[in-house]
Amino acid sequence: MISVTAADRVGIVYSVTGALLDLGGNVLELSQTVMRGYFTIILEAGFAEPKSVEEITEAIRDRGKRFDLRVVVIEVENGRSEPLVAQGERFILTVLGDDSPGIVHNIAGSLAAHGVNIIDLHARVDGTRFSLVMEALIPHDMTPGSIRAELERYGRAHNLEAFVTHENIFAATTEPSPVRLGAPLSPRSQGESLASH
Amino acid sequence: MHRTEDVLATLSMVRQHKLDVRTVTMGIDLAPCASPDAAVLCDRIRERLIRYAGRLREVCREVEGRYGIPIVNRRIAVSPIGRVAAGLKTEGLLAVARTLDAVAAEVGVDLVGGFTALVQKGSTEADRQLIAALPEVLSTTQRVCSSVNVGTTAAGINMDAVAALGHILKDTAERTKDHDGFGCAKLVIFGNAPNDNPFMAGAFHGTGETDCVINIGVSGPGVVKAAVEDLVALAPTKPSLGDIAEEIKSTAFRVTRVGELIGREVAARLGVAFGIVDLSLAPTPQVGDSVGEILQAMGVVRIGAPGSTAALAMLNDAVKKGGSFASSSVGGLSGAFVAVSEDAALARAVEAGDLTLAKLEAMTSVCSVGLDMIAVPGDTDAETLSAIIADEVAIGVINHKTTAVRVIPVPGKAAGDLAVFGGLFGEMRILPIHAAGGSTDFVRHGGRIPAPLSSLRN
Repeated sequence: MISVTAADRVGIVYSVTGALLDLGGNVLELSQTVMRGYFTIILEAGFAEPKSVEEITEAIRDRGKRFDLRVVVIEVENGRSEPLVAQGERFILTVLGDDSPGIVHNIAGSLAAHGVNIIDLHARVDGTRFSLVMEALIPHDMTPGSIRAELERYGRAHNLEAFVTHENIFAATTEPSPVRLGAPLSPRSQGESLASH
Repeated sequence: MHRTEDVLATLSMVRQHKLDVRTVTMGIDLAPCASPDAAVLCDRIRERLIRYAGRLREVCREVEGRYGIPIVNRRIAVSPIGRVAAGLKTEGLLAVARTLDAVAAEVGVDLVGGFTALVQKGSTEADRQLIAALPEVLSTTQRVCSSVNVGTTAAGINMDAVAALGHILKDTAERTKDHDGFGCAKLVIFGNAPNDNPFMAGAFHGTGETDCVINIGVSGPGVVKAAVEDLVALAPTKPSLGDIAEEIKSTAFRVTRVGELIGREVAARLGVAFGIVDLSLAPTPQVGDSVGEILQAMGVVRIGAPGSTAALAMLNDAVKKGGSFASSSVGGLSGAFVAVSEDAALARAVEAGDLTLAKLEAMTSVCSVGLDMIAVPGDTDAETLSAIIADEVAIGVINHKTTAVRVIPVPGKAAGDLAVFGGLFGEMRILPIHAAGGSTDFVRHGGRIPAPLSSLRN
C-alpha cells in the first residue's frame, strides 16, 4: 500500500506510476484527490518480483524529485488484506452547519462507538459554514434511526443539522439505472424509527 | 462516492421542500368475495382485506425508518363494488360500505376507495342501486370513497347517469350540511377513469389488475416550486421557458425515482406486486406545497390570468417527461392537480376573483384531473351540477384523457362565502356559477352522448 502527498502539480500521477512500472509493478487500486491545493494519492500495487519498502520508496522519490514527494509504503502480508471491520448497509451521513473545532472528531467517535465504519468522507469549511458528507456502513444489527438520533442530538448542541440517508435514495435520484432495493433490515430495526425530516 | 452537490440537492428536496410519498395505495381485487348473501360477502371482504393489508401500516413504517422519506397516507383501493356486490339491495350495499369503513380503520388506512360504478355506456341494476345508496354511504361512513365513471372516449357519455348524479350530489350535500356538504368531497365523477389511480377519492382496483398491487402517489409541488424559484433567482440571465421546463423535468425525475424506490420496497416486503408510480403533483393546503405557487414561480403571479393555461400545460408536460424517463411503471392520473380548496394559492386566486369556474375548466383541458374540490352555491340546481359534470367529462372524452369532477354544493351558503372542509381538504370561497339553470333542458334529454370520432383530429 503506497501513499504519496505533495503540493499539487501537473504530472505527479504520471511520475509515481512510471516509477512503479520501472520496478515491474502493477497498480491494483488507486484513489487520488486534490484538497486545498494539496495532492494525495493512495494505491495498492503488486510486483512480479519481491521489492523492499525502501526500494519502492526511493524509486518514487527519485523519479518525482521535482515534486518534493512525501512517500509512505506499507507491505501488505499475504496479498490483499481482509477487512477487519464489521460489514453493514451503506448510508450517506451528512452534517451541515456552523463550524467549530472537533466536529469530525466527535462525530467519528460517536460512530466508532456504535461500530459504524466510515468508508469515504469529505468535509470542508467555507467561511464559517461546515459541511460533511460521508459514506458509512451501519452494522446490520443497528437501526439507521438510532444513528440518526445520536447525530441529531449532537447537532442540536452544536448548531448543526445531521442526516442519515440510505444510499439507495441517492442512487435512485442521481443515476438513470433501475432503482435498487436494500437488503432486509434486522428484526430489531423494524418499525422502530420514523424519519424526523 | 456521491458528489457532494448531488447529495445536498437530494437532501434539500426532503428537508426543505417537503418531498414525501403522498400515498401508498394497496389495490385489492374483491371479485373472489362475491356472494348474493350480504353477510357472507362482508365476511369475505373483511377476511381478504386483512389478509393483504394487515401489515401495510407496519411495513410502511419500516420503509419510512429505513429511507427517511415520510409516507403521508396509506390507502386501500378495491374492485368496483358495483360489480362485486351485484344483486344486493340498499341495505346490503350499506353493509358492504360499513365493512370497508371498519376494516380500513382496523388496518390503519385513512381512506378506502372503490365504492364505484362504471356506467359509461349504461347502468346495470346493481350500478343504479349503488348510485342510489351514495348519499347514505357518504354521509354515514368516515373512510369510504366513491367514484362513478360516466364516460369514455370509446363509449361516449352516459347522460342518464350524469343527470342522476346531480341529484345525488344535492342529496349528499344536504345530509352533510353541518360540514359544508363534505360528503361530496368523497365522490369523484370520472370520464376515462384509470384502473390504477392511487389518489383519493377516485382510486379503485380496476379490471386487468392482479390480486393485490402497491401503487404509489408521489407529492412534489414544493420540490418543483423550489427548483423553479432557485432557477429563476440564481440564473445569471433570465431563464427561458425551455430552461424552466428542463428544470421541472429533472426534478420530476428525482421525485419519481424516490416514489418507485419506496413502492418497490413496500411491495417486496409485503410479497405483493408493485404496480405504478402516479406522477401527479398533489397539493396540500400547506403554504409551499401548491401547484398554484409553481405557476406563480413561473411568472403567472395572478393565477387565472391569461397565460395560466399555457403555464400549466408546460408544467404538466415537463412533469410527465421527467417521470416517464425515471420509471417504466408510470400510471394513474400523472399530471398536475388543480384541486382548488386543497391548494392555498388556487384558493387565494378564487378569493381575489382571478380564478373563475370557466378558467378552471379551460385549465383542466391541459392537466390532470379536472374540476376538483370546487365549492359552489348550495342553491345550485341538480341539472346545473349535472351540466358541469357533462362539460368536464366531455373535455376528457374528446381529448382522450382522464377528467373528473369533485364539486360540492355547500348548503345554505352563497358565492363568496367560505366553505371549510378541514385537514387536507382545505377551504375556499364559494365560486359563482355563470348562467346557472340555463341548460336544464339539455340535461333532461338524457340518453347517451355518442362516442366521438377518432379521426379528423383538428
